[in-house]
Amino acid sequence: MGHPTPQDGTPKYVSKIDRRTTLTWIGVVGAATAAAGAGVVIYNQKGGGKAQAKGYGTDPKLNPPIKAPWPRIMSDKQLQVAALVADHILPASGAAPSASSLGVPDFIDEWVSAPYPDQLKDRAIILKGLDDLGGRFLKADATERAAKLATLPGSDFFKRFRALSVGAYYTTEAGFTDIGYIGNVARPSDPGPSDEVKAVLEQRLKGLGL
Amino acid sequence: MAVAEPYDVIIVGSGAGGGMSAYHLTHSGLKVLMLEAGRDYDPRVETPMYNTNAEAPLRGASTPDKPFGFYDATVDGGWEVPNEPYTVAEGSEPFTWWRPRMLGGRTNHWGRISLRFGPLDFKPRSRDGLGADWPITYDDLAPWYDKTEKLVGVTGAAAARGLFNTPDSPPGCLMESPPPRAFEIFYARAFEAMGIPVVPMHGAVVSQAMEGRNTCVFATPCGRGCAIGANFQSTTVLLPPAMATKNLTIVTNALVYQVDLDAAGKAKGVSYVDRITGAHHSVTAKAVVLAAGSGETARILLNSKSSAHPDGLCNTHGMVGRYLMDSVGLGVRGQFPALEGLPPTNDDGMSVEHVYAPWWGYAKQKELGFPRGYHVEVGGGRQMPSMGLAGLLPADDHSVGDDLRGKLRQRYGSTIGFNGRGEMIPNDDCYCELDPTVKDKWGVPVLRFHWKWGESETKQAAHMVQTFLEAIDKLGGKPLGKIETDGRKAISKGGEMIHEVGTVRMGASDKDSVVNQYGQTWAVPNLFVTDGAVLVSSPDKNPTLSILALAWRSSDHLATLAKTGGL
Repeated sequence: MGHPTPQDGTPKYVSKIDRRTTLTWIGVVGAATAAAGAGVVIYNQKGGGKAQAKGYGTDPKLNPPIKAPWPRIMSDKQLQVAALVADHILPASGAAPSASSLGVPDFIDEWVSAPYPDQLKDRAIILKGLDDLGGRFLKADATERAAKLATLPGSDFFKRFRALSVGAYYTTEAGFTDIGYIGNVARPSDPGPSDEVKAVLEQRLKGLGL
Repeated sequence: MAVAEPYDVIIVGSGAGGGMSAYHLTHSGLKVLMLEAGRDYDPRVETPMYNTNAEAPLRGASTPDKPFGFYDATVDGGWEVPNEPYTVAEGSEPFTWWRPRMLGGRTNHWGRISLRFGPLDFKPRSRDGLGADWPITYDDLAPWYDKTEKLVGVTGAAAARGLFNTPDSPPGCLMESPPPRAFEIFYARAFEAMGIPVVPMHGAVVSQAMEGRNTCVFATPCGRGCAIGANFQSTTVLLPPAMATKNLTIVTNALVYQVDLDAAGKAKGVSYVDRITGAHHSVTAKAVVLAAGSGETARILLNSKSSAHPDGLCNTHGMVGRYLMDSVGLGVRGQFPALEGLPPTNDDGMSVEHVYAPWWGYAKQKELGFPRGYHVEVGGGRQMPSMGLAGLLPADDHSVGDDLRGKLRQRYGSTIGFNGRGEMIPNDDCYCELDPTVKDKWGVPVLRFHWKWGESETKQAAHMVQTFLEAIDKLGGKPLGKIETDGRKAISKGGEMIHEVGTVRMGASDKDSVVNQYGQTWAVPNLFVTDGAVLVSSPDKNPTLSILALAWRSSDHLATLAKTGGL
């Protein structure tokens, strides 16, 4: 029994989802009703997958925001492959953590499990890409795995998987730090750009003849 | 119990028009019953102020349930409202209709741009023979703009510039804006080189504290609503003081479908269905104000059929639903190497643009080949990252690891979106009527829309694209995505700018209008309309501020009539 374990010393990905969220999906917790009732639209699932899930409806609780109420559909094997690909795209670097340590694979699972048109389109692409890599990829050694990863760029799978990983990563606080987003803090006034920024800007505008 | 009270006025709708009507009528001592189709909504407790996208399902990405993103302050609505369909006629160009179902309506999520219409905007037919003149002038509305700006709280104070047809507000009306952000300084330089002025935006966000409201904290998007009352929402600015008079009763989930008349042909009240229970109710008052939004207001009148009014109320001349307008809209995005790698700076600002470009081409409209203009709203800067972040990367980029991190850091904040919002001339092909067969969940006939942009609009749209491409080029940038230069293809869908106005227009006589200059219907003297439906033209300036000012002026007239026994 058990799942394939990465053979190159990479630790197995451990889901970052809390237990309460998991219980919500299987309907144990009352919060599951957040998406029930009036205004819920059930979409046709074109990308295959499990039983029809509900979206969060047209009046989800925003403050504090609800968790995505639909059940996750990715298998553990798919999640493990996703972790390896996500960390290939965004490995730890200096102070910046790796994609998997921020739970990016779980987010990919949340995304492809969602019952909405954009996500259903991605579901087919992402799950097929993960399955194509599959158990062989998990069992491969580092050289073999690197060779396989090198073949991915240019594919729809890589394009979408990277876009989702980048979005998932940089929407976190760690991502804000890495990219240099310093907003979302209350300020008594907005002083505008610093003298340093303005000086750089002037120099560049001058270069453009403006 | 709401129905037992002897009300002076029933107001249908709680957005800009309904909220302002309630504010003034309750302060005038009139007993008001407000009926709102949506649920109760309190921005002070429901607004997700500092929540990050990482806390939201799908990182806040838009879905059919929440078309403007998870955190958008729209309840039970968007381009579709559950149980309340609408249709678009066969052969029509696309039309789309944004509706929320919540107290305060669209004032909860709107863009807060608050530009006054100019003197020319009230007399378009006199100007060039197109469209129709309003029964009022700019000077008639100017004092109401002053009062509205002071009540609502609008930034954009600047030394008077005297730009043509772009009114400055008198001293004391506007608050100071924060300075332009780096990307705004940047693009303004190209616009100025092209002869396009860039001036402070007028935005309904307060930079000084007002009674019961906090000053802006320059963080977190206004589109989520504002828990501290720093921007204008009917629910934080108009309804609380109206409630404080003890003259206002609000009933939510009350979907009004008909104005009821007495034997003398005057309005005696309205009928509504409770959206939750399905129960029907009729309520009475001495006067009725419709402010349900241009579409719903027209629909209520059209559905108010009787033997005396077989085609609907106030529709003897077939004017209800006519002259539906929206803003011309489109956007072009560019990426600019000159903005790459700027030192990190906080670009959150006040959410609404700090500066904008008012229309600059009044003197050369003939040579341009289209009769009306547009203003430019420009977005950019180091915004809170979203699921679209990878769109920063070049299309052929496949980088990973430190290379990818470096590219994202380098290009973050280096894109700018230029958005044109222009005037549409009303035409005979744009209107709404009752669908002959389709009904909502409660059996009430729904609206069927007809839409067709004219050449005046599509040529204007093409000009927007050329202007934005020229600016992008001057700034050393490259446009992002596919660029459509054919105005007919580049132009927004009807309704997409969410500025649908003009179905119950005002005028000088009942032959070519439904209401007089005070929103009072020609056919029923105690029935008023105070939403965007009364607009005669749809200038490039966003309509909300004018709806508020007109609603205040009309309500003042109504209050005077009520006090002098004139209803």
